[in-house]
Amino acid sequence: MIRIAGLSVSYGAVQALRDVTFDAPSGTVTAVIGANGAGKTTLLRSISGTVRPVAGEIDLDGTRLIGKRPENIARLGVGHVPEGRGVIEEFTVEENLRLGALHGKQKLQAGLDDQFDLFPVLGERRRQAAGTLSGGERQMLAMARALIAKPSVLLLDEPSLGLAPIVTADLMRTIKELCEDRKLTVILVEQDAMSALRVSERAVVLHVGRVAADDRSEVVAADENLKHYYLGMTQ
Amino acid sequence: MSTFFFAVSDLRRAHPVLTRATLTVLFTSIALVITYFLDSVTNFNLATGAAYAVVILGLSFLTGASGQVSLGNGAFMGIGAYAVAIWSVHHATTPIVATLALATAVGAGVGLLIGLPATRLRGPYLAGMTIAFALAFEPLVSVFGTWTNGDAPIQTPLLSPPGWLASLVGQPTSSLTTTNMWLADISIVVTGIAFFFMANLFRSRTGRAMRLVRENEVAAELAGVSLPRARVVAFMVSAAYAGLGGGLFTLVQGSAQSSTFNLALSITLLSLLVIGGIGTLSGALIGGLVIAYSQNWINWLEAQTGVSSTSGLGGNLKGIIFGLALILVMLLAPLGIAGTIRFVILQQFKKHPISRPSQTADPQ
Amino acid sequence: MDAFLTSRPIGDLLSGIVGGTVIGLVALSLVLIWRATHILNFAQGAMAMFATYIGMTRLQHRLTVNVIGIHFTVHFNYWWCVAISILAGLAIGGITERVLVRPLYGKPEINPIVVMVGYLALLEALAGAIWGTIPITIQTPFSFIDWQLGGKTVLLSPNDVYRVVATLVVAIVIALLFRFTNLGLQLRASAVAPEVSRLLGVRVGRMLTIGWILASGVGAVAAVILTSSSFQQPLQPPVMEAPFAIAFIAAAIGGLESPTGALVAGIAFGVMEQFVTDYLNSNYVLLIALGALILVLMIRPQGLFSKRVVRRV
Repeated sequence: MIRIAGLSVSYGAVQALRDVTFDAPSGTVTAVIGANGAGKTTLLRSISGTVRPVAGEIDLDGTRLIGKRPENIARLGVGHVPEGRGVIEEFTVEENLRLGALHGKQKLQAGLDDQFDLFPVLGERRRQAAGTLSGGERQMLAMARALIAKPSVLLLDEPSLGLAPIVTADLMRTIKELCEDRKLTVILVEQDAMSALRVSERAVVLHVGRVAADDRSEVVAADENLKHYYLGMTQ
Repeated sequence: MSTFFFAVSDLRRAHPVLTRATLTVLFTSIALVITYFLDSVTNFNLATGAAYAVVILGLSFLTGASGQVSLGNGAFMGIGAYAVAIWSVHHATTPIVATLALATAVGAGVGLLIGLPATRLRGPYLAGMTIAFALAFEPLVSVFGTWTNGDAPIQTPLLSPPGWLASLVGQPTSSLTTTNMWLADISIVVTGIAFFFMANLFRSRTGRAMRLVRENEVAAELAGVSLPRARVVAFMVSAAYAGLGGGLFTLVQGSAQSSTFNLALSITLLSLLVIGGIGTLSGALIGGLVIAYSQNWINWLEAQTGVSSTSGLGGNLKGIIFGLALILVMLLAPLGIAGTIRFVILQQFKKHPISRPSQTADPQ
Repeated sequence: MDAFLTSRPIGDLLSGIVGGTVIGLVALSLVLIWRATHILNFAQGAMAMFATYIGMTRLQHRLTVNVIGIHFTVHFNYWWCVAISILAGLAIGGITERVLVRPLYGKPEINPIVVMVGYLALLEALAGAIWGTIPITIQTPFSFIDWQLGGKTVLLSPNDVYRVVATLVVAIVIALLFRFTNLGLQLRASAVAPEVSRLLGVRVGRMLTIGWILASGVGAVAAVILTSSSFQQPLQPPVMEAPFAIAFIAAAIGGLESPTGALVAGIAFGVMEQFVTDYLNSNYVLLIALGALILVLMIRPQGLFSKRVVRRV
């Protein structure tokens, strides 16, 4: 599991996160929701080491992550699927997956078979350049590329961005199943709060860099004030 | 002292061009008077240094204002040098002003031709292209062998100093003392004029537009600056200055030879720019003096260390020093001499703001 | 057939390909560094020259090593020297990236240009200071004498064949490395998507160093091949200047992004050089190359083989 305590991040004079504290247990999906600019992406980037926090601790099953380089954090089993997916368009589907498997914990062939079972469409397009894939297929590729390393933590940044609702629903179901089957720690950052709350057990609401609420997802979903003030949702 | 400083800076704000003109005339006159007291060798070095300073001024504009790097300005210098050499062999009586104007124009013309792709090229591509141009200069001179004498030098007719200068010095017109003082004086005046124009250009609308290009291309484009035109103009101006400096160089040296204007010269010019300080005009003058005296210093260094100038090390000392200087200055003090001095002064002002004597007096 | 092979254009074509291999390899090494670090390495030729000096000045030397009382004597023949040159090239690439280039990442575009130009001047001067400026001719184990066909000369010697084959071997090794190995995969990934690569556990910093090491090694091979031509191109400090300039032009015309484009354009320029030298005058070579570059860049600023890249704010 991931424990975050007193995390603060600044970009120059702008403070993106202030004293953020919460736990993300394994085997559960923890949703991080909030308006644009609430600091959701910064939070994920701090965990994967691409942003240097000014204060606070991040701990993965007893290992301190603060101060480690992103490549070393990735090798500890943290899979980060960045916003906009980050598939390498010049590479084929298979090359993207090979790259993901390189520093992972299982053999390439077994990993490829796994991923093609999970996402059959990727198997059909394995020799195709990733740049030719559709938005949903790219999201699957990005997820598969993170999963092929057998991570213990999966950080998902806006996976539903630009996807049709039906594709999003599918994706969310897959995330939920993966999380339960493999005892993954999933931190799901979503703009689309409702679908994130539906798939997650726990939810952290961020508001201008601070934790505004940290509770079970049903509780957050039922709290009209929270939804109104921090998530911009009205009935 | 601070009163004088503020008086000048107030005047600058009110009448910028007039102030610059006055200061230029003032400093040029002082320099001219000084040449009277200098010995012949120093005057010759000063003249050479002034020619280099003009070239570096142009390079400073290109790099400082538009953020481009040229390694072809040694070759543009050569273009100006050959223009003057070829012209003065056939028309020895042409006034110096006209000869130098010709060098400037030819430099600008070739600069335009080579600079046209600069409308499309970004930094490293342009720099690479100018390296190719620097290497192509010697073959180019050979191709036009019927005019240029191939790779053999062209001797230009000697300049004859005016009689009044000779009587002032108290030596015959043809004496080395008179000639070198005359060369130094010409070079100082030309440098003064070149400096004046450059200072105005730097602060003009065009100059400001170009600095915007350097800071942020996209912002410049949004502000309505035509990027391609800004780049070509900057390139042309720097080539014109290189042509002028090269022409002056030929007058001072009394000959032109293609092997002078090789890639090493272009690299030296760039290192002088960097050592003096990118984007500063005073840096160009410092750079010019550094090169003019570098041979003396290297001779001194060789004498001190006992390294023979014909040995492998001695013959390459200049390359080692300038190469190292380029690397170290860029890595450790990218502002250069003039830039660092300016930075230190600014820091001092921040720490101890000097109160303005007149304006900040008690309001009652 | 004999008359065809010994004809003047075919002779030029053959010699041109031989000369073009060097240009192609230098262009390839420039592209490798450009793709990895977006730095145009102006010192590429000089680094290669320096590495070749380190190796080739051992030629004819012998080294006696005392291992537990037994003396081993190594006579440095041509192949030993080639190996030392390439190793020196690899090492120079790594040291250069770590010491000179690393502080330059993220700095304004002009900084690496200036530093690499200074490095070029420094290396040439250092080579002159250490080994002198007198050209050194290098003999290879292969004959320099052109083959004869029916009493006429074919402009091709066993040594020429060796030079072309060596180039092809290096090009193929590099291609295989990049396409099929895990190292190649990480090198390519670090070049096009450093951020994402880091998230996948790729040590991008190390990949950049390896990229420089490989490119510098390729450059060293180019310099060795260039100077392995006896009196044609003896080893001297500025020996790589002109090949570098033409290789840059070739790589730029290819778009600086395409290794194959750089290699092919380099060989094409070698052929052009030979024809121009034979039919016109060697003075025109660089001028024509420069003209071609200006022309191509006016029409297609991104080069012939590269896709247009939209620059972001």
